[in-house]
Amino acid sequence: MFQRLRENKSAQGTLLAFPTMVWMIALLIIPLLLTLIVSFGRRSPDGGVIYSFSLENYTRLFGYSTDCDNGASACFNPLYVQILWRSLTLAFNTTVLVILMAYPLAYFIARAQPKRRNTFLFLVLIPLWTNFVIRVYAWMMLLRKEGAINLIIGQVAHWLHIPFQPLELLYTPGAVLVGMVYEFLPFMILPIYTSLEKIDNSLYEAAADLGANAVKTFLRVTLPLSMPGVVAGTILVFIPVMGTFIVSDILGGRQVILVGNLIQRQFLDARDPTFGSAASLILMVLTLIVTYFYTRKFGFGEEIVVA
Amino acid sequence: MNKSKLFRLFAMLMAVSMLLAACAGAQPTAPAENGEKKVTASGFECPEPNPRQDVTSKELNMFVWTEYIPQDIIDCFELVYGVKINRDEYSSAEEMFAKFSKGGTNYDVLHVSDNVVPPIIRLGLLAKLDKSRLPIMANFDPTYLNLSFDPNNEYTIPYEAGIDAIVVNTDKVPNPPKSWADLWNPDYKGRMVSIDDSRAIIGVALTTLGYDVNTTDPKQLDEAKEKLKQLMPNIKVFDSDSPKTELIAGDVDLGIVWTAEAELAHQQDPAITFIYPTEGAINWQDNWGIAANATHADAAYAWLNYSMQPDLFWMMLRDFPYINPNTAALNFAKGNQMKVTDANGAETTLGALYDVYIASPITNPPPDAVKKGHRAVDVGDATALFDQVWTEVKGGQ
Amino acid sequence: MNPHRRSPLVLVSTILVYFFLYAPIVGLVLYSFNASRANVTFEGFISSFSQRVVTEGSLVKSSPCGPFHWFCELSKNNEVIDAARNTLTIAFVATIISTIIGTMAALALQRYNFRLKPFSQLSLYIPIVIPEIVMGIGILTLFSQFFAWLNATLSLTGESRLTLGLGTVIVSHIAFMVPFVTLVVQARLQGFDKAYEEAAMDLGANEWITFQRVTFPMILPGVLSGALLAFTLSLDDFVITFFTNGPGSTTLPIYVYGLLRRIITPQVNALSTVWIATVFLAVLALQLIQNREAKS
Repeated sequence: MFQRLRENKSAQGTLLAFPTMVWMIALLIIPLLLTLIVSFGRRSPDGGVIYSFSLENYTRLFGYSTDCDNGASACFNPLYVQILWRSLTLAFNTTVLVILMAYPLAYFIARAQPKRRNTFLFLVLIPLWTNFVIRVYAWMMLLRKEGAINLIIGQVAHWLHIPFQPLELLYTPGAVLVGMVYEFLPFMILPIYTSLEKIDNSLYEAAADLGANAVKTFLRVTLPLSMPGVVAGTILVFIPVMGTFIVSDILGGRQVILVGNLIQRQFLDARDPTFGSAASLILMVLTLIVTYFYTRKFGFGEEIVVA
Repeated sequence: MNKSKLFRLFAMLMAVSMLLAACAGAQPTAPAENGEKKVTASGFECPEPNPRQDVTSKELNMFVWTEYIPQDIIDCFELVYGVKINRDEYSSAEEMFAKFSKGGTNYDVLHVSDNVVPPIIRLGLLAKLDKSRLPIMANFDPTYLNLSFDPNNEYTIPYEAGIDAIVVNTDKVPNPPKSWADLWNPDYKGRMVSIDDSRAIIGVALTTLGYDVNTTDPKQLDEAKEKLKQLMPNIKVFDSDSPKTELIAGDVDLGIVWTAEAELAHQQDPAITFIYPTEGAINWQDNWGIAANATHADAAYAWLNYSMQPDLFWMMLRDFPYINPNTAALNFAKGNQMKVTDANGAETTLGALYDVYIASPITNPPPDAVKKGHRAVDVGDATALFDQVWTEVKGGQ
Repeated sequence: MNPHRRSPLVLVSTILVYFFLYAPIVGLVLYSFNASRANVTFEGFISSFSQRVVTEGSLVKSSPCGPFHWFCELSKNNEVIDAARNTLTIAFVATIISTIIGTMAALALQRYNFRLKPFSQLSLYIPIVIPEIVMGIGILTLFSQFFAWLNATLSLTGESRLTLGLGTVIVSHIAFMVPFVTLVVQARLQGFDKAYEEAAMDLGANEWITFQRVTFPMILPGVLSGALLAFTLSLDDFVITFFTNGPGSTTLPIYVYGLLRRIITPQVNALSTVWIATVFLAVLALQLIQNREAKS
C-alpha cells in the first residue's frame, strides 16, 4: 500500500492537508454557513431561531423600517448604517494614525546599529505581549477624571496659574480611538520594520550619487520599498479594529457602539441571534471588500511573513 | 530572528508553561476533615453546615450576577464540602437568558431575576425544587415567597431584593432630581451613570409618560424610545457591574442604580444619597434556581442551604447590602456582639452592621416607596419589542 | 550614505512613540503599589509592615507584605491561578496540535497538487482577513446547535454531556491558529532549495529519512516561528475564548475582563505587573543567553 502512496503525489498531498482541512471545514466553513442560514431566519419570542427564508434582517441593517414618524408605510432608519460607517471611519482613522506613529519608529530601528536592533524590537514587543485587556485597562486608569493625565495637566495648569477643570477624557469616542491606536500600534511597527530592514544600503548610496536629497530619496526609494510592510500592517490593524468590541466597551462606557458591540449585544442582551448573524456577515463582507480593493492596489505584503 | 535564538525562546516558553502549569496544579484544595477549623484566606472562621448534606460531586458550576456573592461564603463552601466552585458571571438578565437558553451550557445553580423566571420555566430549563432537601426555606420572610413569577416557589427560592432609583451626589448637584422626569434636565448632560438594564431604563421612560412598565403596546414603546433618545446625552456611562465606582471616582455626579450600589457609595461618601422618584421606582427580586440538567445537583442543594445559613448570610449586609429576605440571617445579626469589619475595613460589631442596615432608607426603604414601586414582569412575545427599542436607543450617539 | 539617518524628526518621533507605548504600563505598575483600595488616585505606598492588614477608610495603612500587599492578595487568589493554568494549558495543547497539522498543510500546499488545493488555500486565508468576532459567533452557533442535538439524540446526561469548556476552547483556538502557522511555514518553504533533498535521495535516502535529516531541520526556524506566533495568539486571545468557554475554563484575559467588571482594586494592577514582569524577564534572559553565546 505504501508503494502506491509513494507514487500517487496527489494522494500524498491530500493526506498531509487532511487534518487541517477537517479543522477548517468544521470550525470555519460550517460555522459561516450556519451563520448565513441563521441570518435568514426570524427571531422566536424567546430569543431562538425560526428557520425560514427572510431578508428582514438585511433590510433592517440597511435602513428599511416600517416604524415611521409621518405615518408612511416605509422609511429609512439610518441607525445601523451609521454604526457601520462609524466602525469604518474609526478603523480608517486608527490605521492612518498608527501608520504615522509607527513609520518613524520602524525607520529608526531599521537604521539603528544591528546589535541594538533586537533590543529596540523587544521594547516594542513587550507591551504587545502583555495582555490585550490589561492594556485597555491601563488607559482607563490614565484617562479618568482623577487619573494620571488630568493630574499632570492640572499640576501644570496650577503652576501656570491657569484655571483648570478636569477634562472629560474617558468614556468618549476619543478615548476609544486612543485605545485602538495603542492596542494595534505594534502590529504596524513590525511589518514596516521588516520591509525597511530589507532595503539595501547601496540603494541609498546610488540615490545620493545621482544627486537626490533627503525628501526625494524618501519618496522615490524608501517609501515604495516599504509599501509591502505598510500593506501587511494595514491588514493587521484595519480588520481587527472593525471587529473589536472590548475597547469601545471599556473605554467608551458602553456608549460608543461599533459593529462589534452591535453583534455582541444581539447575541447577549438583545437576544436576536438572527439579526446578529446578519450583522456579522455584513461585517465580514465589508472587510473582505475593503481588503480586496486595498491589496489589489498595493499588493498583499506576503514578504513580511518571513520572520 | 535566527534559528538558535528562536529555538531557545520557544523552548523557554514551553518550559515555563509546563512549570507553571504543574505548580499551579499542585495547589491543594482543602479536604473536608472533621474536627479541623476551616479558615478562609481573609481569616474568617467557617461555620459548620447545619444540617450537613450528602455531597459526592467534586465541582459546582454557577452562573451568577457579577458582584453578588461574598468571597468568604464561596471559600467556606469549598473548604467545608471539598467542592470546587466554578463561577461564570453575567451583567444583565437578558445576557443570562441568552447564554443559558442556548444548548451546550453546563451550569448547576443560577441566579435568576424575577422577570426572566417565567420564560426560563417555560423552556423547561429549571429543575423542580425538592423542598425536602431545602430546609433553608424556613428562613425566608413570607413577603418574598409565592410571588407571581413563580407561584409556590416550585422552581426558585429568593436571594435578594432591591430597588432601582435615583442616586445623587448632593455635593456636586445642588438641585437634585425628585422624579424620573427630572433626570431629563439638560443641566445633567454627561453627568449620569446608568445601569445597563433594558427593562429598568425603558420602564423609567414609560413611567414618565404615564404608561405601565409592562406594556405590550408598540405605540407606547415607540414613544418611550423617542423619550429615551433624549435622555442619552445625559448618560455618560452604562455600567451594570459596579456603577458605584464611577460615582465615587467622581466621573459622574448622579444616576440610576440598584440599592446596594447606592448604599455602598453612600458609606464611602455620605453626600451620596438615594432618592425614590415620585412616579414610583422599579422593584425587583433575584432568586436561585437549579438547572434542569444539572450534573451536580447534590452540591447545588448543599450550596443553597449552606450559603444562606444565618451565620454566613449576614455577610450580605456588609458586602452587598440589598434588601435581605432572609429573616433568620437578620435575626442572627440583630444585637450580635460578634466582631466584624465593615465595608471600609473598620472594626465594628455585627449588631452595629444590622443597625446601619435597618436605619438606612436605602436598604430598608420606607413602605410607601416600596408600594409605589413597579415590578417588571415577563411580557412574553413583546420581549422582542423591548429588545429592539433598547438596540435602537443604545445604538445612536 | 543614508541622508536621513540622523534626522531629528525621526529621533523625536521615536522617543515620543516609545513614551506613548510605555506610559500606560508605567502607570499600571505604579498603581499596583497603591495604598488606596479604591484605586482612583495614587495615594502613596504602603510603608509599614504589620501582622494583620490595617485599613483606614479606603487606605491600607499597613500589611504583612508591606508595599507588596496587593501581590500577596493576588497569590491567595485561587481563581487567578486557575485562570493562569487554563490559559497555559490551552496555549500549550493548541500550539502543539496546530503546529503539527499546520506544517503538514504547508508542505502539502507548497509541494503537491491535489484536487482540493485551491479550496484549502482560500479557506486558510479567510480567518486572517475576517474579524475574530465573525468566527467566534459562528463557532458558538455551531457548538450550541450541535451539542443540543447531539445530547438529545444520544441521550447524554450528567458528566458525559457535551458542553462548552476547556475542550471547545482548545479546538477553537486551533482553528484560528492553524492558518497563521501554515502561512509562516509556507513562506519559509518558498525559499527552500530542493537541491538538498534531491542530493539526499540520490545518495539513497528514502522520503522519510530525507524529511527527517534534511527538510525538517531546514524549515525548523519557520516552524518555530509559526509555533511562537501561534502560542502568542492563543495566550492573548479574548474574543474567540469569550464565545466558546464554559464554567471552569476561564482564561486570564477573560478573568481580567471579569475583574474589571467588579470593584477594581489594585489587585488587577498587581496581576498586570506580574504578567509584564514575567514577559520582561523572559526577554531579558533571552538577551543574556544571546550575549553569552556571542561572546564565546
